[in-house]
Amino acid sequence: MKRVLTVLFATGFIVATLAGVSAAAYVVAGLAEKHLFPGASRLSNIIFLMLVFVMIIATLLTLAERKWSALMQDRVGPNRARIDLPGLRNRSLAGIPHILTDVLKMLTKEDFIPGTANRFLFKLGPILAFAPVFALFAVVPAGPSVTVFGHRVDMVVATPDFGVLYLLAIASLAVYGTALAGWSSNNKFALLGGVRASSQMISYEVALGLSLIGLFMAFSSLQLPAIVGELGLAGAQASGQAQYLWRTEGAFDFGVPAWGFLLQPIGFIGFFAASFAETKRAPFDVPEGESEIIGYFVEYSGMKFGMFMISEFVEVVVLAGVTTALFFGGHHLPFGGEWLASQPLMQEHGWLYGTLLGTVFWVKVVFLIWVQLVIRWTFPRFRYDQIQTLGWKILLPLALVNVFVSGALVLWDPSLRALAVVGMLEIGVLVVLTMTKKAEAAEGGAHGAHGAHGHDHGHDAHGLPSHASATSSH
Amino acid sequence: MADSHTFDAKGHNPDTDGSLPPEGSELEAHLQSKHMVINMGPSHPATHGTVRLKVELDGETIVKIDPEIGFLHRGFQKSCENVTWTQCLPYTDRLNYLSAMMNNFGFLNAVEKLIGLEIPERAQYIRVIGSELHRLTDHLTCVGATGLEMGGFAPFLYGMEARELIQDRVTELTGARLTTSFGRVGGINRDLPEGWADKVHKTLTRTEELLVEMDGLLTRNRIFVDRTKNTGVISAEDAIDYGWTGPALRACGIDHDLRKAHPYWVYERFNFSVAVGEHGDNYDRYLVRMEEMRQSISIIRQALETIPAGPIIVDDWRIALPPKPEVYGTIEGVMAHFKLVMEGIQVPPGECYDATEASNGELGWYLVSDGRGRPYKVHVRAPGFPVLAAVPHIIEGKMLADLIPTFDTINMIGGEVEQ
Repeated sequence: MKRVLTVLFATGFIVATLAGVSAAAYVVAGLAEKHLFPGASRLSNIIFLMLVFVMIIATLLTLAERKWSALMQDRVGPNRARIDLPGLRNRSLAGIPHILTDVLKMLTKEDFIPGTANRFLFKLGPILAFAPVFALFAVVPAGPSVTVFGHRVDMVVATPDFGVLYLLAIASLAVYGTALAGWSSNNKFALLGGVRASSQMISYEVALGLSLIGLFMAFSSLQLPAIVGELGLAGAQASGQAQYLWRTEGAFDFGVPAWGFLLQPIGFIGFFAASFAETKRAPFDVPEGESEIIGYFVEYSGMKFGMFMISEFVEVVVLAGVTTALFFGGHHLPFGGEWLASQPLMQEHGWLYGTLLGTVFWVKVVFLIWVQLVIRWTFPRFRYDQIQTLGWKILLPLALVNVFVSGALVLWDPSLRALAVVGMLEIGVLVVLTMTKKAEAAEGGAHGAHGAHGHDHGHDAHGLPSHASATSSH
Repeated sequence: MADSHTFDAKGHNPDTDGSLPPEGSELEAHLQSKHMVINMGPSHPATHGTVRLKVELDGETIVKIDPEIGFLHRGFQKSCENVTWTQCLPYTDRLNYLSAMMNNFGFLNAVEKLIGLEIPERAQYIRVIGSELHRLTDHLTCVGATGLEMGGFAPFLYGMEARELIQDRVTELTGARLTTSFGRVGGINRDLPEGWADKVHKTLTRTEELLVEMDGLLTRNRIFVDRTKNTGVISAEDAIDYGWTGPALRACGIDHDLRKAHPYWVYERFNFSVAVGEHGDNYDRYLVRMEEMRQSISIIRQALETIPAGPIIVDDWRIALPPKPEVYGTIEGVMAHFKLVMEGIQVPPGECYDATEASNGELGWYLVSDGRGRPYKVHVRAPGFPVLAAVPHIIEGKMLADLIPTFDTINMIGGEVEQ
């Protein structure tokens, strides 16, 4: 009971904090526009979105991961580090001192460079691993464009026309860091890790791009803000994921929103699996594979190792952010969005409206981060040739079929309804396939070694069943 | 430039000879490829205990693997020759340190066979209970570690939780967590503690729950199945040729369990089945171990319900220490105590081989006595040794990543392999 209350309190606290920081982001951006030059809000967005939100969530994620994995594994989790001050001495403070001690440890450890390593590339490795994932968030809109202090404020750093292409291009740069780290440390295990990282990248990168094509066709854009869409206010046509496929008439809008995961479930699963591989976390942690080859960063110590570690967590946040923007309607509410936007209070106080929807965005992000944590702590590791099989033989053909089917459906019915019907059918098939497998397991589980061999390898046909079950069951 | 290139290609180079294509044009780049030798161990996350695997890799394919043992060598056999039969017991703890009681009881059983001694029924029951408890801890560790080393941390911790509970019960019974040194020649040195049976029942119930969790996380897990199925395959013939026993052999489809084949103690009174696999791959070895754990739980429950009252050690002062009142009160007691402690049990001259079904297979003891009260020779047939010896046969030509689950599921224990 106490644990439930603690979790509820923590959830509320997280949501409140997200709302607070969102509000601060909008107000500061508005002030910057007002007192500095036009476009200054983009600079303040760099600070708020990339430094405050992404970095702090990534830092807290190191703790959240330990806490959540502890919950999953029936442990208590980090509670040993204490602050030796009166009143704090006997409190674990939810493990937050562990973050501080982690940082202290990494900053003060010896920064060791192996004698035979290529010093320049060795130092370049962590930077190349960290910088690209950090830069990814620049094109992800984290809230609506509103008017604050009489100035237009967008909650996004940059809105290039080639938005998603920028994501794909920069994301694939990150593998250089890993490969270089593995190669330059002149260690056989690290080299294996680096080679594995490259092979993994090759196997999922194509599927990653292809799985998004259907989405581009549905929303006719590569720009993330356009895919997220604008509400249809004052008679204007709603665009992107803000539009409804079917809706009720009336002041309070309610209906089925055109969110990406409804239109493109196959694309979503493919993208999520492929970008999960990008984060190099279990089940795709073959470059690290700590029980096999120890990892590409085996020779790194101190903060250089810390860069690799934190870049993994930053990738988790960025992946959640991108997935939210592409497939979960970005900052839009599933219903009632137009009603909320038309409220006089919201129209008067743009920052309040922005704060509310910004919080919606970050809550979705936190939810997707949680999904990733659950997956991370549930599955064992793939073998690297199995990842290639998954990428080339399963995800790629699926994504190709998806492109053609989606293209035909978008041409046939530009209102996207046909696409959504097919998408929901696909979701239904996935759920049914997952469920039937569970029923089989319940029957077969009672048998001994003989009984369990009924498991065939043909279940791959519907993509990534394990992920489907993990994502669809929440 | 072209000349030097051709010259290089023609020149004798041990690294590339035989792997180069025939002389081609200048445009054909001759990529020199050579095998990489890496050391897995003696200190490596995947090597249980301390074993060194010298692995020669072609890319990620294992060309050659050379398991090198000896890092845990303690001179077990020689040490035993210098102490009395009873004093050998603590040395046997350190053989398979995950299931010490099985080593204890196996050794005692062999000594009793050499003497020609029948131990009391209650002692036999306690030995069965102790053995099966430690079979559980051993398999829990093995299955948990398999999950852990393939990246799934949760099953490992579930396994550890169950193991800790069982270790607590073992501690209550024997007084030690790992190095139990339990039992004496002729029976058992202490009886079951009061109320212990109920606690064991509770522990087993919790263990069953945790087994369900582990089963749910691993058995039907797509990735786990892909990683373990058809990897680390050995045929039944090869397994027999290598001398495999225990769960690893049964996973190949051979129904051979000493508890059924040559029942010892009171095993034939219990209703249990032997888990047998089919393909001899990692997945079958995992399934066999999971099923054996369920059978062990059933055996312990049956034993606790049917255990008879009675003495726990033979009433023979040449073998078992006399009761303390006799030692303090009678001259015969003092003398028997003194003789046993100073000279040890006078095992008659002779030799014998005796084997019990330990958690990883046939734990055999070849004992030679010259009648001096000390072993002349103690040889252990450790089940892990033949299993480890077959690793090169299984894994050569396969992937490096396959080595991990294979090494996990065969469950080589450094302590018994290297003695």
